[in-house]
Amino acid sequence: MLKVQGLTKTYPGGRGIADVTFEVERGEVFGFLGPNGAGKSTTIRHIMGFMKPDRGSVAIGGLDVWKHQSEVQKLVGYLPGEIAFLDGMTGRGFLEFVARMQRVDSRVKRDLLIERLQFDADTPIRKMSKGMKQKVGIVAAFMHDPAVIVLDEPTSGLDPLMQQLFIELVLEEKAKGTTFLMSSHSFPEIERTCDRAAIIKDGRIVAVNNMHELQSMQRKVIEILFEKEADAVAFMGAEGVHAESRDGSRVRAAVQGDYDALIREAAKYRIRSLDVAVQNLEDVFMHYYDRKGASR
Amino acid sequence: MNTPLFRQMMKVNAKGISNYAVGSAFYMLLMFWLYPSIAENSADLNDMVESLPAGLVNAFGFENGFGSMESFISGEYYGLILPLLLSIFSIMLSTQLMARLVDRGSMAYLLATPTTRGRVAFTQAAVLVCGLFVIVAVTTASGFAGSAWIIGGRYAFDASRFLLMNAVIFLLFFAISGLSFFFSSIVNDEKRALSISGAVTIGMFSLDLLGKISGSVEWLRYLSAFSLFRPADIASGGGQIAVACVLLPLIGLLGFAAGIAAFRRRDLPL
Repeated sequence: MLKVQGLTKTYPGGRGIADVTFEVERGEVFGFLGPNGAGKSTTIRHIMGFMKPDRGSVAIGGLDVWKHQSEVQKLVGYLPGEIAFLDGMTGRGFLEFVARMQRVDSRVKRDLLIERLQFDADTPIRKMSKGMKQKVGIVAAFMHDPAVIVLDEPTSGLDPLMQQLFIELVLEEKAKGTTFLMSSHSFPEIERTCDRAAIIKDGRIVAVNNMHELQSMQRKVIEILFEKEADAVAFMGAEGVHAESRDGSRVRAAVQGDYDALIREAAKYRIRSLDVAVQNLEDVFMHYYDRKGASR
Repeated sequence: MNTPLFRQMMKVNAKGISNYAVGSAFYMLLMFWLYPSIAENSADLNDMVESLPAGLVNAFGFENGFGSMESFISGEYYGLILPLLLSIFSIMLSTQLMARLVDRGSMAYLLATPTTRGRVAFTQAAVLVCGLFVIVAVTTASGFAGSAWIIGGRYAFDASRFLLMNAVIFLLFFAISGLSFFFSSIVNDEKRALSISGAVTIGMFSLDLLGKISGSVEWLRYLSAFSLFRPADIASGGGQIAVACVLLPLIGLLGFAAGIAAFRRRDLPL
């Protein structure tokens, strides 16, 4: 449905993307993961036809996005990473305008979406909060039932409840056969919706994996607070535990796939508390990135 | 051309356009209202004008004196104030229609719909020309209204020369808008588009003015599109109108075409 092939673009500053290649099947939710500045937005700009690649191509439904703008955009719904609407309109006014541009009568679905996302569509856009604008953007991307929906950091600005609702929306559309491409710098956001994901770093795709593979590659840091400091010391030295540091009776241990070994070892002692540390994307896939870096 | 976009853009800019149009119409009516009292002293005023340095008289377009309504209006309004007003309008609106949408990112929404960049740019150009046309049309209409209500046949008023003056000023600003539109289409930054269009337009305006004031640098005028519009000459029945009627539309069309073509091809930071 969406085919990105050898996409290369070098910005004057030397940054950019190089040889980005992946394919998204019909009805698949595809995640596009990478730290900020890795080239996610640049890739999406090419997919939307806002930029002309130096080399390579993007095709949606078999049509080149640069050459067949009008036909391709009939198939696509888009949520920009940074939302900017037109001046002097209400949310509803803007959605009506977009609907006329999309040339689809989408009133029923639009009103349904507005109701589910729970926002007052008659608020003037300049008075809207970031989250509210995000909701208007989501409605604009979903309402005309496009075959492919491209979302650039879709849940930024949404509270956890709305994030959950957003995930439900994506899964419902997916069940109808809609294809998704979703960029994110947060693994949990991708984890709950995507079938497969590509990881991009410094403008290059470092991996395209299905979600299970990614989950087993993911490295988590678990903090365990033991009741006795002696237990903590003993735990540090145990086999199958990759302890990183100890602060009194608090131990930080890294796990990658082998949760079982850690839990069994920890179960031998009395434990007061356990935390999974929140990490940024680089840390989550640090092991993976390192291996790639060494082999290059 | 994209009809929903055209209608939306006209709606968003209707207030601005009508502000310019109403302002221009009021000024025009004010001139008509003033004219009778000036016409009575026309002989004295003509003497006074003759005593002024020729450059200054040229700059304000007073060289025809105050004998007829259209020569009065050509000096008092079409010579300086209306060109300035329309310059500001062209610079502002051309920037808002293209560069601002790219700078703020809202262009992404327009391009993410089943249309092409070419059609979006063409529509925005049409909005600009349409706005310009409305202002000139309202100004013209207010002139005729003023002559009917206020002058009422007491003083000479040559309708065809007045119409011609309006037609040529429309063509002049078709050309200026075309150039501003081009700059607005190739630049990503709103402020940059504004300053380039502003520098070029006001620069040409000043070259023309300098050329008019001082005979020794008259050649400066030929660098400027403004020299093709000589309201005082039109009011007195002369002027190289044929040249203006060919060159100005050509400059405008080239500007718009180049703007649309450049916008179709370039990378957008959306």
